Order: sequence, then C-alpha cells, then structure tokens
Amino acid sequence: MSDLTNYSRAQQLLVRWLLVIVPTIGVGAFALKQVNFSYTALHTGISLQVVCFSLGLAIAYSLYFFRARVLVSLALLGVVYWVAQRVIVKLPGEFDVFYATARFELYATLFLIGWFFGLLLARVTWGYILLFAVLVAVSLVVASNTIDVSLPYVLVHVAPAVVYGVYMFFLSPVLATEGVFTWKRVSRLAVRTGLFVGLVVLMFFVVEPFFRGDLKAVEKELVARGAKEKDEKGQGSGGYDDRYGLMEKKDDGFRLKDTMRVNSRMSQSDQLMFCAKVNNFFPDGSPAPLYFVYHHLTRYDPQTESFTRDVNVPSWDEFDVDPATIPLYQVRSDSSIFRKAMGNRLRKNVTSEIYLSSNTWKHALLGPASVYSVQPIPVEKDFQKTFYSAYKVKSYTSELNNAYFVYNISANPALEAVQEQRHEELATVRDYQAVDPAFFDYYVNYPEGRIYDSIAQLARSLVPLSATPLEKVLAVRDHFLKRNASGKRIFRYTLKPGSAGDPNIPSSQMLYNFLFKTKAGYCTYYAGASLFMLRALGVPTRFTTGFATVDRSDKNKGWYWFYASQAHAWTQVYFPGYGWMDFDMTIGNEDQQSAPKPDGTPPLPPPDPWLVLNARVETTQPATRQLEATFQRLIFYTDDHTLTQPMTRAIDASLCRVLYDKKDTTFTAIQPGDSIIIVSYKDEAKKLPPRMRGVPIEEQVRRFPSPILADEIHIKPKPQPQKEDNNGRGLVRHEKKGPTWKEIAWVAAVSIGSLLTVLIFLPLLFLLWGLLRVALARDVASRADRVYQSTWYRLHMAGFERHGQTPLQYAEREIDPRLATGLADFMRMYLRLKYAGGSVREGDDRVVQALQKTLGNALHRHHGFFNILIRYFNLPRAWRFVQTKSRSEE
Amino acid sequence: MAVCANEKPQRRVNQRNQRTSNNYLMSHAAKLNQLTQNIERIIRGKTQEVKYVITALIARGHILIEDNPGAGKTVLAKTLAQSISEAPGEPHLPHGGVTFKRIQFTPDLLPMDLIGSYIFDEAKKDFVFKKGPLFTHVLLADEINRASPKVQSALLECMAENQISSGDTTFELDKFFFTIATQNPIEMEGTYPLPAAQLDRFYMKISFGYVSEEVEVDIYTHYLEIGKSKETVKQVLEYNDIVHLQEEAEKVYVHPELIKGIVRLVQSTRNHPEVALGCSTRGGITFIKCLKAWALVNQRDYVIEDDIAALAQPVLHHRLIFRNREASRTVLAQLAEQEVNRLAKLGISKKK
Repeated sequence: MSDLTNYSRAQQLLVRWLLVIVPTIGVGAFALKQVNFSYTALHTGISLQVVCFSLGLAIAYSLYFFRARVLVSLALLGVVYWVAQRVIVKLPGEFDVFYATARFELYATLFLIGWFFGLLLARVTWGYILLFAVLVAVSLVVASNTIDVSLPYVLVHVAPAVVYGVYMFFLSPVLATEGVFTWKRVSRLAVRTGLFVGLVVLMFFVVEPFFRGDLKAVEKELVARGAKEKDEKGQGSGGYDDRYGLMEKKDDGFRLKDTMRVNSRMSQSDQLMFCAKVNNFFPDGSPAPLYFVYHHLTRYDPQTESFTRDVNVPSWDEFDVDPATIPLYQVRSDSSIFRKAMGNRLRKNVTSEIYLSSNTWKHALLGPASVYSVQPIPVEKDFQKTFYSAYKVKSYTSELNNAYFVYNISANPALEAVQEQRHEELATVRDYQAVDPAFFDYYVNYPEGRIYDSIAQLARSLVPLSATPLEKVLAVRDHFLKRNASGKRIFRYTLKPGSAGDPNIPSSQMLYNFLFKTKAGYCTYYAGASLFMLRALGVPTRFTTGFATVDRSDKNKGWYWFYASQAHAWTQVYFPGYGWMDFDMTIGNEDQQSAPKPDGTPPLPPPDPWLVLNARVETTQPATRQLEATFQRLIFYTDDHTLTQPMTRAIDASLCRVLYDKKDTTFTAIQPGDSIIIVSYKDEAKKLPPRMRGVPIEEQVRRFPSPILADEIHIKPKPQPQKEDNNGRGLVRHEKKGPTWKEIAWVAAVSIGSLLTVLIFLPLLFLLWGLLRVALARDVASRADRVYQSTWYRLHMAGFERHGQTPLQYAEREIDPRLATGLADFMRMYLRLKYAGGSVREGDDRVVQALQKTLGNALHRHHGFFNILIRYFNLPRAWRFVQTKSRSEE
Repeated sequence: MAVCANEKPQRRVNQRNQRTSNNYLMSHAAKLNQLTQNIERIIRGKTQEVKYVITALIARGHILIEDNPGAGKTVLAKTLAQSISEAPGEPHLPHGGVTFKRIQFTPDLLPMDLIGSYIFDEAKKDFVFKKGPLFTHVLLADEINRASPKVQSALLECMAENQISSGDTTFELDKFFFTIATQNPIEMEGTYPLPAAQLDRFYMKISFGYVSEEVEVDIYTHYLEIGKSKETVKQVLEYNDIVHLQEEAEKVYVHPELIKGIVRLVQSTRNHPEVALGCSTRGGITFIKCLKAWALVNQRDYVIEDDIAALAQPVLHHRLIFRNREASRTVLAQLAEQEVNRLAKLGISKKK
C-alpha cells in the first residue's frame, strides 16, 4: 500500500498540487513566455495568460481528481463559454466588443488548454507524456523562429520541458502504484521508457513540417547533383551552365554570365527570376515595355572568341552598385550616368520597382536602359515567400526606346505607328561625324580573320556603307526576316542550333554556320551576328545581356514577370544625340510557341515611410518590446538627413515586424549593439510631426513622438567571420539563414542523449558520493552513519534485498553467513549509537573500519568485480533505493 | 523528539550517564538470561516465545497464549513459577518457587470459584473469606474462552486492577501477579470469544505453535530427562529480583525517533482502510512498556528498531479488528515493516 493512501483524499490532492500542478504551471508559464516573445498576436499580458492557464489546469485537475464526470463537466464548460460569449457581445461599443471578444477567445483558449492538461494529468496515467511532447514541440518551434540558433540556446529552451518530462517520468510511479516492487511495475517502467523514446522520435516527425522547406531544398539540390552527374557520365558535357544558357549558378542565386560564348546548345527553365513594375507608357496609355539590362558586353576577344565586359570603355554608362549592400530606403545615385548616356534628345526618366525572387542573385542590379539611382525597399509580408528583396530604380532612357523591334511588329497597328515614328526620328541621324573618335573606334572595332571578313562581306552586300545608321539596322533586321520562294522564313529560332555540327568547333565558326549554313539559332546567335554585321557597316554596337520584357497581361498594366527562360541577349545601337537604343534582332520561334506562363499577383507596394532610422541598439526590453536606439542618419519623409550629433530615442516595437536578412524573426533576435533600420509608416492613426522647411533637422527630431512607434525593424546581418578551414561547421554557419531541421534534431538528440548518459551513470555517481562522504566524515558517529548508508546501498545494488527483515536481522541471518563481513557486529554497534543516545565507546572505530575493509572484498568475491560494476547501471534498482528512502523521510 | 521535549535536558544527560555505566542493571539483565535458559531446558525450541512470556512478566503485564492443547503452556507456566524463589515470609512450597495455580475454565465455572467466597466459621461465629485460586503469583488460566463472560470479566478485572473485590471488602493482590491465559483457537466449538475490550488487558497474545522437526526429535529422544528436570527446576531468581527488574524495565531508554515511529505505527493502524478498529492510546503505552521489557530481556538498556519489528505482532495484533482475514494476516506486518524501514533509513540523529 502506498504511503499516500494513509492520507485523506484532500491531503492527497494537496500533495499532488505541490508535486504535479506547481511544476506543470512552471513549465507552462515558461513555454507561454517563449511563445509571447515570438508571436505578436499573443502579446496582451503574460501574467493574465499564465493565470488563465493555471486556473484551468488547477480546477480541472482538482475536479477530475475527485472523480468528476468528464463529459458532464465539459458540457458545463461549453455552456459557460457560450453564456460568456453572449454577454461579451452585448457589451456597449462596437470597437470594444471586437477587442473584448478577441481577448476573451485568447484567455478562454488558454484556460481550455490548461483544463485539457489538467484532465490528462488527473485521469490518464501517461498524460504527462503528451504534455511533455507538446512542451518540447512548442520550445522547438519557438527556437526555430530565432535566427541565431546555437546549442546552448536550444538547450535553454528545451531543458525545462525535458527536465519536466524526466521528473514526471519518475514521479508518476510513486503517485500511481504501490511502493512494493513487482514484475508488473518493471514491465510498466519498460513500457514507459519505450513510450518516452517513441515520443521523442515522434516529436521530430511532428516538428518536421516546419523545416520541410529546408528539407526540400536539400532534396532538390541532391536531385540536381545526381542529374548533373548522370549528364556528365552520359554525354560528357552539360551541367548547370548549360542548363541555364545565359546564366550561371552563384552561391546564392542565378545570375547572368559576365562573359558570353556562343554555345552549341541551350536549354531553358521556367523559374521565376523577378517581377517588375515599369512606369513607362505610350502616349495612348498602353504599357511600353523596356528590356532589363544587366550588363553590356562591349569587347570581343578574338583569342577566346567571347564577348566580355570592359569597364574601361569610354563613357561607361553602367551604374555599378550592389543593391544588397545599400541600407533600406537609402538612395544611391550617380548623376554622371546622365552624361555618360551620351544623348540628351527626347530623354525621360523612368521609375521601376523590381522584386527579386529568392532564386535570383541578390547582388544583381537590373533595370531598363541606363539606371542611375537605386533605393532598396521592403517586401510586403504576404509576398515574402516569393520575393527575397526589392528595390526601386530610376533610369534615364530615350523616349524612342522600347522592346518592340522584331517582336509584335505586325501584331498591333498602334505599335507599328510607334515604330514608324521612331524610325522617322532616328532617320535624321546621318552619320557619326560628331562623335568622339575614341568612342566610335571602340564600338566599331572589328576582328580580323577569314570568317569575320565573310560576315563583313555579307553585311556590305545588304546595304551600302553610305546609308544612314537606321537603314543599316533595318537592313540587318530584314536579312533575318527574309523569306524564301515558298514564303517560309529562312532564319529560324532554335535552342539547339549546334546539334547538327560538332559542339567543339569555335564560336566564330558557329556564327559563320549560323549565317551561311544552318540559319538557325537563339538570341546569342542573332545578337552576335548582328553585332558583327553592324560594326562591319560602321555602326557603334554593343552586346547587351539581361531579360526580355514580354507584355502578357492586361490586368496589371506596367507589371512584367521574368522567368529564367526570358534571359536574353540583344544589341544596342548608338545614335548620336539620342543615345543607346535597344534593337533585338532575334526572330520569334514560329515552330513552337509555348504558352506564356500566367503572371502572378503583383506584390503590394510597401506603405510610404515617414521615418527611416539607421540606428544602433542600446538596450532592449523583451517583456514590453521596447528598445532604445541611437541614430545619426535618418530619412524623414523623403529627405535623407545626417545629424550633427547622434541622438538616442525610445522605440516602441510592440506591433512591429522584426526581420533579419529579409526574414521574419522574433523581437528577441534584437541584441544591444546590433545595427538596425527602424521604419515607421505614414498612418492615419499616428500623429506625425509635420515636415517643416527651414527648420534644422535636429529640432524636428526633437519633436518626434516618444516613444517612436516602429512598424518594421530590419536587423543588418552581421559580417560573418570567414573561416579558413572550410569544414562542415564553418560552412554551415556561413550560409545559414535559420536553423535547419537537422541542426535542431541534432541539438535535441545531443541534449536528450547527454541527459540519459548522466542518468545512466547516476547510480555509480551516487556510490562514489557515498564513499566520498565516508572518507570526509569527521567523527566516529557520522562515519558509522555514512558507512551504514553506503553499505546498504552497495548491498542493495549487489542484489541483496531485505524483504521485510530489519537490517540487524538481515545482517545476522543472511549477510554474515554468506559474506562474513562482520556486518551484524557493526549493526549492533550502530543501533546502539543511534538509539542509546550516541556516546561512542572504545573499539567502535575498529568495528567501522573492519566493515569498510571487508565489505568491498566480500562483495567482489561473491559476485565478481565486473558483475558488481554492471549492476550499478541498473537504474530502476537504484531508483527503488532512493525512492523508499525519500518516502520514509517525508 | 516531541515526547521528550518537555523533559529537562540536564536530567536526560544524567539518565544517560547512568545508563551507560549501569552495570548493576545489566547484572540483573544477566539473571533474566539465566531465567530464559532455565526454562529452555524444559521447553525446547521456543526461545522467542519464552522471551515473550518473560517480557510480559517484566512489563507487569499478562499474556494470552492461543494454542492447541499439548504445546507446553502449562509446563511453561509451572517452570516459570518454580524458577523464582519464594517471597520472604511466605511458606516454603513443596515444589519450590513462588506460588503457582492453575484454573481450568469450564462453561459452568462461577466467579466465586476464582475469587473465593465467605464461609461461615463455626469457631469464630463469623463469615470468613476463603481465598480462591486467584491469590497467587503465577496463574495459569486454561482455556479462558470456555468460561462464561461473567467469569472472564472477573478474571480480567483482577488482572487490570491487581485487586479483588468481594462484598464490601477489597483484597490487594501481590505485586507479583502474573497471568498466563490460554485459549483455544476461536474456531472451536463451545467457546465464548473474548471481547476486544477485554483482550486489550493482555499485554501480549502469542501463539506457541508446534516445534520444528529437529526439536521434536530431540524432545522425543530426551523426554525422560526432560521429565526429570521438571522435578528439579533450579531457582535462578528471587522474588525480589523480579520486582526489581520490573522497576528497572521502566528506566530503559527509548529514543525520541523511536517514540515518533511508534506513534506513526499506532496512527497508521487507525487510518488503514482495512482495519475497523485501530490501536488505542493505552495500546500504545503498553507497546512502549513491552518494548522496554523486551530490550531488557535481550540484554539491552535501550530500545532499537528491531524490537518494534519483533513486538508489533504479539503486542498489537489482538488489539486491532480487521475487516477480513487476509488483512488480519498481512496488514499489521506491512505497517510495522514500513515503519521499521523508515527508521532504518534514518541517520544518527544529530540532536542529542
């Protein structure tokens, strides 16, 4: 019979309250606190939440402990809930009702969760295991929300739940069963251990969906790698570079190549690269798409037969900046682009918003024509899965420039009119007399060689050298659009132009083949061929890579979607006074018109900020979600200011989105010393300080509300220390954006494993502790006492159990006849010390020492050393010893 | 500690000093050992039971032996009486030792048969009280449950009060009045079971049981010698020794933790669901008295946890009423074991 049965039901409940409910409330509160830090929706006061949870738990536990009916009580609870809801709805004030209901739902849910746990604990023997699983799952999910996951971090988060689980694991037999040792209990313990382990495994399957994204990425990469290997084995060529033709895979996304060779084959992919809004329209309001320029490849290297980028060209009009390094909302611009664009007639500024998908190389600056200004902007939360980053660009372009040259030429009369108008305007350009000779020579530079000569010959046969530049361009275009006698086009578009020939022949040979033999190729062929032909005719031309803009949608005017298959190459031709003009000679693919992919929903533009602070965190208060930040640079409305002195202001981040490296994270990720960007949007509800002209910015900052209500906080990624040794861990740390499921599993496995290891060695440690205490005993009485304790522990672990006999009886009848250790003498002496009032007699010390000497040897003789040692790993046995001990000391 | 907390510490220290150096007391305890051995020469293989009987004697109590006939109860009682030399001033008895009387209880026995009665003395022309068999030192009340409750209660009153009332006169019994009652197992026919309140008067209730095979062989082999030694029982103790030992037993030291343990044990019998009637406070006091005497019988001047284990059954079992037979067999043993285990796990108390 358990000790507990000797007490009344109420006393038992009290004991259980202390042993079960209080620890459960403790871990529950801890978990709630964690969840509060991670999810803003819950943020309504943790103490009340804990109270609700505890109330539910305690009431349910007490009720069910006194054998309340489950169904009846749940029904009653439902009725109470319904009535309470009715009452709340009747409250005056529409606004209040909404908040009151939301709060009520939250607290009621917490109360119900507590209730459910109380029911589990009171009625289900294994209830605590489920509770444990839920707690660990919550901890893991919360931990996975944090950016900088580390072993101690996860340990700290998961430890309370694990400790609780282990605690309940060992407490529950005390509460549930009689103190007597039976086989039934051993089997129960085995079942419990099995369940425990099974749950740990199950838990990872439950948590796994949260990391499925990472898992898929790993899977995909593995598949791709496998495909590549297969490809290489099968054909001896191929791989990533060929799969994407114009693009190559960088460590964090796809990008266009810096150099371009004319390859024998090209395959394309339909991955979304980015989407963009271009504010460029024809006078009639229809959108005027512009090709998105990535790089200009100006120099042709006859040695390697490839087009390369050359920054040292005269009037280099590429804006060379990395948008990923610019702080949010800060504008970078280069006014020299206006001059370098080399044209000022019919010019205009075009603004575009570009949303890069996570597949795209985030350092790429893409934009129509000549970009001169970049401003990174945040991506709305709902679109964050699709788009990694976004920026606004301003470009300087000719009004005559547009994507229509070969494409759509006869499809739309309005477009034809636009073309006509453009050609009329450009026809006024006669020659390049006024152009800087260095500039001119560079762009008409033509390689020498038999093949190049024949290309030049072909070009000159199409149009006389004296013709205007536009006539030359149109002549080259017309050459590609020629039809044979049966009305069929001579030139074709194909992605595999080289399949007939040897793939290893030099690219100039391929261009020759393209122009004179196969007459089939893709954009690079057309662009390359037209570049040589136009340069041979004395027209400054350059090879441009980027993305072809296709206007597909009537729904969202000005929005364009760019897939990997739209990676493109074309020629830009220079017209003095007008600047560089896109002329895409690539003819359409008549054989196969793949249906364009339907466009997605364009991302919402982020609201306008009235204030952007470039700040450093001083202090944070996670409980109230407040922080103090020091800043010197700020954007107030649209103006970029730098303060003469850094200022520190309180920031209220209670309703704020926190992002790290463009990914949502929790407030706790903000650490003092971090560089952050604080954004506050214009909002009707906020009282915004007006912008005042002529007032120094410092004065205006002083009038800002305090605390400043932040809408978004972007934590700047810290520069990761590059490790020299690229072993697994260094690499993972470098590339990590969030914890992967593998890491979390590993961390959890290590923590649980180390806990189990400690548990396994606990009996042995207990023995050592006992022996150490004996060695440290000061007087005979306490030494006798400690020898007594450790002796019985050792005998217990060696398999000697008293089974109802008193220690003295047992020593006299069993131990001494079998082991001859003098335990009975010791016991008599010990009992005298214990019960006769404790005065030590002469010779007592010797009895103690005699036992100490003989016991170990006797046990080893009896069982063998290893046998004894192995017995110390019998955890349940050791537990029984401690259990009976603690029970007797209550 | 709760019990001893009221005592003055000074006195307790003195007590202890006295205890540890009390060779005088121990010499008497040695005499008890002689007594045990003396009886054991005749009652073979029953050391524990003999000790129980002596314990009850030293604790100034009485003992009830429940057993089948022929287990040696009478011989035990007789030998005990013969081992103690007579009180000073008493007539020398033919068999030696203190007075020993035996009453065979029958259904038609009357209280007068025990107590005695007034008889008209022709010579004195007056009623003279003729003392009954109760006026003795060692009384063997055989088959006590055969007599009517009236007789039973008469005997039990004497045992409790140590005096006899007849008419308007009250006769004091001797200080040394020790009853060994026997009863047949209650299942037997024609018995009047003793009520719980009366059973309570017996300090102990033991069961003799049959001896082991070896001992029985020994008895059968040597029955002649045993019979002879019955005739020549040595007197190892004096009447005064017994009285003195009874006084000394009161001084045996009981550790506060043990008292706490006894309290817990007694209380646990009251709260146990399988026990209808738990142990009374008087039962608890009796338990302590018996423990002290038992310690003395075992040559100790302090009580240890083993004593509780040994005495719980004989002292407490007959005071409890169990709900079923299974509980009667197991519950008390379990409770005692539990308590002894608790005590065994305790370290040496730092408070002295």
